[in-house]
Amino acid sequence: MAIFRWGSHFDPLAGFRQLHRELDRLMRPSFTEARRVGGGAYPPVNVYEAPGEVLVQCEVAGVDPSDLDVSITGETLTIKGQKRPLPEAEDVKFIRRERGSGEFTRMIVLPDAVEADKIEATLADGIMTIRLPKAASEQPKQIEVKPIGR
Amino acid sequence: MAKDKPVKVETKQAARELADNTFSPLVDIYETPAELVVIAEMPGAAREDVSVQVDKGVLTVEGAAKLEAPPEPFGETYLGFEAGTYFRAFALSDEIDRDKISASVANGVLTVRLPKSEGGKSRKIEIKTQD
Repeated sequence: MAIFRWGSHFDPLAGFRQLHRELDRLMRPSFTEARRVGGGAYPPVNVYEAPGEVLVQCEVAGVDPSDLDVSITGETLTIKGQKRPLPEAEDVKFIRRERGSGEFTRMIVLPDAVEADKIEATLADGIMTIRLPKAASEQPKQIEVKPIGR
Repeated sequence: MAKDKPVKVETKQAARELADNTFSPLVDIYETPAELVVIAEMPGAAREDVSVQVDKGVLTVEGAAKLEAPPEPFGETYLGFEAGTYFRAFALSDEIDRDKISASVANGVLTVRLPKSEGGKSRKIEIKTQD
């Protein structure tokens, strides 16, 4: 199973934030109010697994592709990047600031070893999709059962 | 003259029912002397899936995120986010020039520019001294 390790940006309250988000969802006053996003570890990821491949989706809206850095060490996938803040100017007055900015790191321990050379990452509409083909040794192999003549 | 029939008047919240997968997008709003800018994060929503409306002084931003789960034999190992619909509404002040509102989408982020009308721009008033 995928295990998440702390990156260089240790957030001791991430677990509480996750709990808060879940409780918020349950305690929502009415169905006329939309759910809030965010609150957990950033960036949020989805991990899918097939016998021959691992697929990771990562939500990075507003992050420039050139500011994203995806790397793999053994079975640990590291997503690093930075979300640039809006340029500050003297006559700019902020009324609301919910999006946040800064550097982020997220490490994902993959369920199996993958072929480091065959990893592909694409970014569309703020969602990055990383396809990681599993290493040949990790793929299921059919074993022939031979009858023994008696 | 026919007698007026009584009409039942109901007051109820006009807010529409939002589905469970409707999210309130995170926004940054800033003001410059010339305009107000609303930046909303809508990851997964392409340009054609985002709509911006101004109606009776209310700015509504909506977006539909497309996030496809890979088909079989992929199984879910960990889910940290889900796709849905983004919806958020803002009341506009009278100083916004409603005909000049423009919007753009890039990288899952919607930017709405709301220029101020001439009357809404701050003006420095010169104080004259009487000689």
